[in-house]
Amino acid sequence: MLRFAANRLFQLVVICFLISIFAFLLVHLLPGDPTLAILGPNDTPAARAVLLHQLGLNKGLLSQYGTWITNIFHGNLGASFLTKQTVTNALGVAVPIDLELIVVSQVLALIFAIPMALVAALRPNKAFDKVATTSTFGMLSLPTFVAGPLLVLVFAVTFKWVPATGFNRLSQGLGPNLKSVILPSVALAIGSITVYYRLLRADLIATLQEDYVTMARSKGLSTRYILLRHVMRPSSFSLLAGAGISIGTLFTGAFVVEVLFQLPGIGYQLVQAIYSRDYLVVQGMALVAAVAFVVVNFAVDFLLTVLDPRVRRA
Amino acid sequence: MDGSADRYDRRAFLARGASGAAALGLAGVGVPALLAGCSSTPSSTGRTQTHGVSTGTPKRGGTVTMGLNSEIDGFLPTASHWDNSGLTYANTIFDTLTVVAADGSAKPYLAQSVTPNTDMTQWTITLRPGVKFHDGSPLNADVLLANIQALQTSALTGQALRGVVSSASKVSDLAVAVSCVEPIVAFPYYLSTQVGYVIAMAQLESQSSTQPIGTGPFSLVSWVPNDHMTVQRNPHYWRAGLPYLDGVTYKPISQDQSRENSLRSRTIDLMVTRDPGAIRDLANAAGYQQVRNPSVGQGDMDFIVLNTSVEPTNDPLVREALARAIDVGELVRLFGAGIAKPNLSLFPPGSPYRPADNGYPTYDLTKAKQLVAQAAPNHGGTISVALATITDPRLVNEIQAIASMWGLAGIQTTVSQVEQVTFIDNLVTGKFQAYTSEQFGAADPDLNYVWMSPTTANGPIALNFSRNKDDALETALQAGRTTSDPTARAQAYQEVDKHLSRDMPYLWASLATWSVTGSDSVVNFNNMTLPDGSRALGFANGVFNPTPMWREA
Amino acid sequence: MAETLGATPATRRGKGLGVTFWICLAWVTLMILLAVLASVLPLKAPNFQDYSAVNVGPSAHHLLGTDDLGRDLLARVIFGSRVSLVIGFFPIAIGLVVGGLAGLLAGYRAGPTDTMLNAVSFVLLAFPALLAIMVIETFWKPVSLLKLTVMFAFVAAPLLFRVIRATTLSFASREFVVAARAMGAKTSRILLRELLPNIVPAAVSFALIGVATAIVLEGSLAFLGLSINLPTSSLGNIINDGVNSNNLSLNPYIALWPSLYIFLLLTALNLMADRLRSYFDVREVKL
Repeated sequence: MLRFAANRLFQLVVICFLISIFAFLLVHLLPGDPTLAILGPNDTPAARAVLLHQLGLNKGLLSQYGTWITNIFHGNLGASFLTKQTVTNALGVAVPIDLELIVVSQVLALIFAIPMALVAALRPNKAFDKVATTSTFGMLSLPTFVAGPLLVLVFAVTFKWVPATGFNRLSQGLGPNLKSVILPSVALAIGSITVYYRLLRADLIATLQEDYVTMARSKGLSTRYILLRHVMRPSSFSLLAGAGISIGTLFTGAFVVEVLFQLPGIGYQLVQAIYSRDYLVVQGMALVAAVAFVVVNFAVDFLLTVLDPRVRRA
Repeated sequence: MDGSADRYDRRAFLARGASGAAALGLAGVGVPALLAGCSSTPSSTGRTQTHGVSTGTPKRGGTVTMGLNSEIDGFLPTASHWDNSGLTYANTIFDTLTVVAADGSAKPYLAQSVTPNTDMTQWTITLRPGVKFHDGSPLNADVLLANIQALQTSALTGQALRGVVSSASKVSDLAVAVSCVEPIVAFPYYLSTQVGYVIAMAQLESQSSTQPIGTGPFSLVSWVPNDHMTVQRNPHYWRAGLPYLDGVTYKPISQDQSRENSLRSRTIDLMVTRDPGAIRDLANAAGYQQVRNPSVGQGDMDFIVLNTSVEPTNDPLVREALARAIDVGELVRLFGAGIAKPNLSLFPPGSPYRPADNGYPTYDLTKAKQLVAQAAPNHGGTISVALATITDPRLVNEIQAIASMWGLAGIQTTVSQVEQVTFIDNLVTGKFQAYTSEQFGAADPDLNYVWMSPTTANGPIALNFSRNKDDALETALQAGRTTSDPTARAQAYQEVDKHLSRDMPYLWASLATWSVTGSDSVVNFNNMTLPDGSRALGFANGVFNPTPMWREA
Repeated sequence: MAETLGATPATRRGKGLGVTFWICLAWVTLMILLAVLASVLPLKAPNFQDYSAVNVGPSAHHLLGTDDLGRDLLARVIFGSRVSLVIGFFPIAIGLVVGGLAGLLAGYRAGPTDTMLNAVSFVLLAFPALLAIMVIETFWKPVSLLKLTVMFAFVAAPLLFRVIRATTLSFASREFVVAARAMGAKTSRILLRELLPNIVPAAVSFALIGVATAIVLEGSLAFLGLSINLPTSSLGNIINDGVNSNNLSLNPYIALWPSLYIFLLLTALNLMADRLRSYFDVREVKL
C-alpha cells in the first residue's frame, strides 16, 4: 500500500514536472511578448529592451525556467506583468470558483444520471430507456454557449430569481453564493449528464447479464439489494474514469461558461493571460490546472482498485 | 496621450477574454446628432423627464453597481492603458485638471485656471487651494510638477507628450507653467484626458498601479481584476456636498449580451454598452433611462484603416475602389439595429469642422469595378486584400459582409480574426492591409493630431497606423493646432476632412454608438455640474463620471 | 412489476435488425451523402449574401430560411456538415485505434507498460488544450480541416485511452481471462477474442459521445475565433453565430437547424449502435 502510494507520488512529480516544462515552452513559443501588452503602440525597440530587462525576460529560456521553478519551491508563483496581481492571489480568486462549479455541476449531473441509468438498465430498450436516451442526446447536442444564454433568459432576466453574471463568494453568504453558481453549473452539468448516463447504463446492462446476478436473483434477493450491493460497484468503472476526466478537464474547460457568466476562473484568466502574453500567469495557471487534473485522476485510479479488488494495483 | 489614443490601444488590446467581447465593436452604428443623446432635448414620445437628469432632491447614501465593458490593467496614468473603462475608473478616484463643458469648451476643474500667454506657447495651470488627496497630502505645484515630469519620462505617455510639451516649471505654490513645442490652442483639452489626472506624491513615488491615491469623489476599497472594483465615498472631497452615494461597485462584464442580461435581471443597476441591439431594446423601455453620445465634439468613428505603405493599398485607385465598393447604407442597416446612421466624414453632422461636401468617395459599384479593372494590371492582374478584425462576433460578421461587397467589385478578399495584442502590434508595425478600427473620439480635433500626422508615420513603430504622408494634410493639421481664430480653425479642419477623403487612409462607416443605460433606481447620472455652475458635457465615448448620481430606491 | 433483472435487451434474431435500424441507417447515409456531394447538389451558394432576404424564416425560396447576412441556411448547414462530420468522426476514429489499442494493452498488461502509457496520457490530458491549440494555430496557419482533425485527435486519443484502460482493467482479472491465459492463449488472442468484445460496448458508447463533443467543441473554438477559417461554415460556428448578440431572439433558426442536425445524427447513430450491439451480443444465452 505504502509502496503504491510512493510510486504514485513519484509519478505525480514527474508528470507535473513535464507539464511545467511544456507550459513554459509553449507560452514562450507564442510570437510577441508582454511588452506588446504593456507598451502598446509605444513599443519602440528602446522601450522594449528596457522593459524586458526589468521583467527579467532578456535572460535565456533555461535561466528563466530555472528562476520560475526555484521561486515555486519558495511559494512564489510570480505576478502578472500587467496588473501586478500575484498569481497566488489570482488563483485565490479562480480556484474557489472552479471548485464550486465543478462540485455543484457534477453532483447535479450524477443526481440525474445515476437513477436514470439504473431505471434504464433494468428495462433496457423499453419506453423509459428510449426517452432517456433521446433526451440525453438532445442535451449533448446543446453546447454550453447555447444552454447558458437560454438559462439566463429564463431564470435571470424573466424571473429574476438569480443573478445573470458574477460570482458571490461564500463569505457573502451561502444563499447568494449558491444563486450565483446554479445557472453556470446547470449549463455545465447538461453535457456531463449524458456522459455519466451512457457510461453507467452500458456497464450496468453488461453487469446485469453476469451469472452471479442471475444467481443472486434466484436466491430471492430483492432487486434493490442486488443493484446496490452487487451491481453498482463493478459497473462504476467507466463512470469513474469518465468522471475523472470530466472533472479534470473542467478546470480549464469551463471557459465558455466562465466568459458568459463573467466568472474569473482558471480557464477565463488563463485565456486572458495568453492573449497578453502574461507568461507567469499562464505558467502558474496551467501548472495548477494540470496538477489538479492529475491529482483527481490518480484518486480515480485508486478508487478503481478499491471498487474492484481484482484489479491489480498497477 | 490624448484620450482617444489610449482609449484606442487599450480597448483594442483588451477585448477581455477573447470572448468576442465587444471591446472594439465596429457596430456600424452612429448617433444621429440631432438626438443629442436624449440628454438635452425633450423626448418626442411625450416623456417629460430627461434621461439621466433629475430635478428632484438628491438622496444621500446607498451604493450603485455598474457594469463596464472591459477591465483595466492598473491605476497609474503614466503606465496603465486606459480605455473608456479605465477613464471611468479614473474619474471615480482622480480628478482631471479640466473638464469638457456642455458647450464644448474645456473648463478648469481640479485646476482653478489654465491661462495661456499671448502666443499660446506657454500655459499656466493654477490649482485650487485647500484640496487634499485621499491620504491627506495636499495638492500643490510640487505634486503637479512631479506628475508632469513622470508623464514626460514614462514609456507609455512620453513619446506622444514630447510632441506637445517641451518643459514645465513651478511658478508658485499652486501654479505650474507648461511650455509647448509650438502654439497649441487646444492645450486645455489635453488636460481633460489621461494626462490630466493628478495623483498623489506617494503613488508617484511607489509607482503602484494597484493602490491609487487621488483627489476624486471616491477612494478605492478593493479591486479584484475581472471581478469587481469597489470604492467608497471621499468625505473630504473638495466639491462640497458631493458625491451623494456611499459607494460604487464596478463590474467588468466583457460579453455585451451578458451585460445587458445583468441589467435586465437587476444584477447591476447601470451599464455602459455599445451594442446597438441592446441600445435599441432599452431605448424606450419602461423602467430604464438611457443616455447616448452627445452631439457636441467628435464621437468615435467606426471605419476601416488601410495601410498606404504596402501593396496593393498603397495605390489610391485601389483605395478608392475599396471605398466605392462598400454599400455603407446596407452595412449600417445590417448591423446598426436601426440605431446607427452612416457617417462618411471624420466629423459628425452639425460639427463646425465638417465641410458641406468633403468629397468622400461614396458607394458606386460600377465605378468600383472600373477602378479595379484599371488598377489590376499594376498589381499582377488581380487585386487581393486581407481584411481582419479582432475576435468579436459582430465585427467578424461585418467583415464577412464587407468582403462580400468587395468581392462583387472584383477584389479578392480574405477575412481573418486576429487576437488583440497581435492586432495592435500589426497596426503599429505596419504588418496589415485592411483592419477594422474604432477611434478619433475627441473633445477637440487637435487631440487626434498624433494619429494622423505624417510626422508620426515614419519608422518601424508608427502611431499613424495608415502611414499616410500628405504634406497638405500636415499643413491643415498645423493650422488647426496653432490658430486661435475659431473661423480659421474650422476652415483648417474642414481641409483636413477633405484631404482625408482624397487620401482615403480611412474608409468611414458610421459613428460608434455608445450609451449608458440604467434602471430607474439610479437617477441624475448624466447631470454633472462644474464648479462655476455650468453643466459638464457628461457621458461621451463610453467615459462615465459617477459624481452626480444618486439612488432613488 | 415484472423485473427483468439481467434480461438481455430484446433481440429479434430471426427477424433481422428491425425497421428502426434501417431508417436510422438510411438517415445517416443520407447525411453523409449530402455532405460528400454538397458541391454538385442544386444548393444555393452558402456564402452568397442576399441583403434583400436577411433573417427570413423557412420559405419556398429558402427551405430553412436565411441568416443575418442573407445566406441560405440549408446550404450553410449542408456545407457545414462536411466540416463537422470530419471533425466529429475522424479524430475519434484515430483516437479509438491509437488510444483504444494502447488502453487495451495497458489495462491488460499493467506493470511498466501501463505506468508509462498512463503517464503519457496524463501529460497530454492534463495540459490545457486551449493553450496548446492557440500556440499551434499561431504557427500552423491557416487553420484547415486537416489541422483541426489532427489537433482533435491528439485530444481524443488519451481520453479514449483512459476510458478503455479502465474498462479493460475491470475485465482483465475476470475468470474467463484468467482461464484463457491458463490455457496458454497468446496475449493477442486474449486481447482480441476475450477482452475486445467486452470492451466494445463501453468504447462505442464513449466514442459516440466523443463525436458529439468534438462537433460541439469545434463551436467553442469558433467562439474564440480559433476554428476553421471564415467564411467557411461548420455546424459549430453556425450555432455560435446563432446565439450571438441578438440572433437568438431575432432569428432562432440560425441556432436551431444545426443543433437539430447534430441531435438527429447522434440519435440515429446511437439507435444503430444499440441495435447492432444487441444483435451481436456476445453474452446472450443461447438456449
